[in-house]
Amino acid sequence: MVAPAPGRLQVLTRVTEMIADLKPDDVDLLKALHRINHEFHYIPREAISLLAAQFKTTPAIIYGTIDFYSELHLTPPAENVVEWCSGPACLLKNSAGIRRALEAQLGCQMGEASIDGRFELRLVQCDGTCHLAPLIRHRGKYIGPLTTSQAIEFARGLNPPAAEASE
Amino acid sequence: MASYADLKARAEQAWTPIASPQKPLIKVGVATCSRVVGAEETLAAIKTGVKTAGLDADVMMVGCLGLCYAEPLVEVQLPEGPPVLHQRVTADKTGALIQAVKAGSAAGPGAMAVMADRTLGDVPPVGSLPFWQGQVRRLMANCGVIDPLSLDQYIAQRGYEALDKALRMDGEAITKELLASGLWGRGGAAFPTGRKWDFLRTSQRHPKFIVCNADEGDPGAFVNRNLMESDPHLLLEGVLIAGIATRADAGFIYIRDEYPVCVERMEKAIEDAYAAGLAGKDILGSGIDFEVEVVRGAGSYVCGDETGLLSSLEDRRGMPKIKPPYPAEAGALGQPSNINNVESYANAPMILRNGADWWANVGTEKNKGTKMFSLSGQIQRVGVLEVPLGTSTRQVVMDMGGGPPQGRALKAVQPGGPLSGIVPASEIDIPLEPEPYRERGSLMGGGGLVILDDTNCIVDLCIYFEWFAEDESCGRCTTCFAGTRRMVEILRRIASGRGREADIELIKLLGQLATNANCFHGQGAPTAVITMLRWFEDELMDHVVRKRCPARACAGLIRYEVLHQSDRLPMAEAICPTNAIVKDAQGLYHIEQEKCVKCDACREQAPYAISVVDEFGAE
Repeated sequence: MVAPAPGRLQVLTRVTEMIADLKPDDVDLLKALHRINHEFHYIPREAISLLAAQFKTTPAIIYGTIDFYSELHLTPPAENVVEWCSGPACLLKNSAGIRRALEAQLGCQMGEASIDGRFELRLVQCDGTCHLAPLIRHRGKYIGPLTTSQAIEFARGLNPPAAEASE
Repeated sequence: MASYADLKARAEQAWTPIASPQKPLIKVGVATCSRVVGAEETLAAIKTGVKTAGLDADVMMVGCLGLCYAEPLVEVQLPEGPPVLHQRVTADKTGALIQAVKAGSAAGPGAMAVMADRTLGDVPPVGSLPFWQGQVRRLMANCGVIDPLSLDQYIAQRGYEALDKALRMDGEAITKELLASGLWGRGGAAFPTGRKWDFLRTSQRHPKFIVCNADEGDPGAFVNRNLMESDPHLLLEGVLIAGIATRADAGFIYIRDEYPVCVERMEKAIEDAYAAGLAGKDILGSGIDFEVEVVRGAGSYVCGDETGLLSSLEDRRGMPKIKPPYPAEAGALGQPSNINNVESYANAPMILRNGADWWANVGTEKNKGTKMFSLSGQIQRVGVLEVPLGTSTRQVVMDMGGGPPQGRALKAVQPGGPLSGIVPASEIDIPLEPEPYRERGSLMGGGGLVILDDTNCIVDLCIYFEWFAEDESCGRCTTCFAGTRRMVEILRRIASGRGREADIELIKLLGQLATNANCFHGQGAPTAVITMLRWFEDELMDHVVRKRCPARACAGLIRYEVLHQSDRLPMAEAICPTNAIVKDAQGLYHIEQEKCVKCDACREQAPYAISVVDEFGAE
């Protein structure tokens, strides 16, 4: 379960504490972003101006940096984030079919969340666990090698609204 | 301040019970590849299992041997006996293994090989495993042998001996030794490492930095991950030696975000090295200072380009810079810097310890030493191995890796990342070294070999590579960010049956334009498509002209049809995520094409009733 979104004041206080020891020109910005991302599972917008002040730069540079990296997000994750590996070993074993099946089953496109905000499909890069190809990840657990049928069963096990409606 | 001799004495004491155990010794390989199949659970189960069985045994963690296909791996050694490797020991199988040990046998269920040059009962020696035959394990000598979290165990394998030696050597002598060995950068550019280090050594502007590019972004490559997780001190020692040789002030090891275990283990290695006086201020009492830290990336492929990585260190978007100035003049934070790949640094300790001549005694005339490769895709044995440069691609892919799954034929090999192109099965006999690959329009990059078989479509794969190049483009050069986008559009059009013969000329034009990009990401982006035109033109033209995909992989050129009724079709109906399989009034099933997303699940359920047919052209 995801904790309720933190309040604005709470974010400002925590982020200020977290980045107090970091300096510009000391290869610290990525460290700051990782700390914030680790705590909130995304980078709250409120943090951007604080980071800009701390690193003596503009909010645009900070925003651009966050936006540049695929592992940093500006929106909170959904309740169920299904990570789909985009790597070549998975691709050669029909991960594209798994992707289309998951998109249909969960009711959201890759990189988006379902309308009710319960499911999210995220594209992730290959981390070399190719003996499990094709694979997906859910809450830190690696699931593979998967047939398309198994991927659909997995998504149904998450109890998506589409399955409820058809029952 | 402890001297190296003191550290060595302490380390050897710690190593003795492991080298010649007086009681049963159980080693469990724990790295990313084995963690995802439950190695941590296996380790915990063995620890508790040994206790409950009342067995007096040592249980320890080691890194990864590279046999990813057989994980989790457990090695059992009895006093006076050889160590025996067991494959696929998941937590539920540890009980049987412990019982075997208790009964006095090192070979339990799942015994795979003896980690020595002998047999034990019917268990063969490890050297007889196809995956092992032909390997020369130098960089990987400690992988799966020592505990990656233990400084003592690394030192016991002559670790940091080269560092100790380097501290007493002139910087120039170190770079000369490196140059004499013939070591070139393992990241793909193949530039002599010794000369690169010399640029930084002769630079007088301080601070100077050593940067290790551990941002192994090539999808399907995991050699650096394996090395950093299994033997982090080896890389650290290499980085320290580079720092000492060039009189640099600090080092950054830039690791990609997708490798959290590497970050963890490298940080632990650095912490231990600092505590032992092997890094930081006044290294081993020599008066030389060198600081090292790990920088964690955040998910960006172009940060694996050296100047992209430098931008990333400078608190902004990781956009590659325009060269010159080269990093040796103005690199990290605008200061002189040296950037090398993980394997390049990791070779340095071996060269200093054993001499350039020893190091160069394997390989070919032009290309000395060994190289690690990872095998993935349509191959029987997924894993990481190390062979001398110049080993034939066939030996690595077909013999050691076992080739594609039974009954399928090799189609092509992608030799080193999405920018490296494709080499067809007909060229499989070429040696693994840069020149033969370059001659074939390809590139032997970081070492991630991805294998294709006859069920795979080249056009489909090229769409992936071009999509990847577009997705990861930093956005600076039009020929890259817009060129790759046009390329994806054209290829997708071809793959959906709307290709035109004029598209081929457009593709070639885009390939020429790409050479104008600033960094290698943009320049290399069309390589896959250009090699496809060279080697697989017939297959491409099948898509363009006949509107069919011979491998039946391009979703726009195929459709699923119920060929005949079968009692498995209700299962296909149940699995379909879009309810596209429907039963009509007569009780006959058919597929409603407008609903079908072509995910293949129904065919998995009813493989004889449902078939993939060409959308166009067949009739």
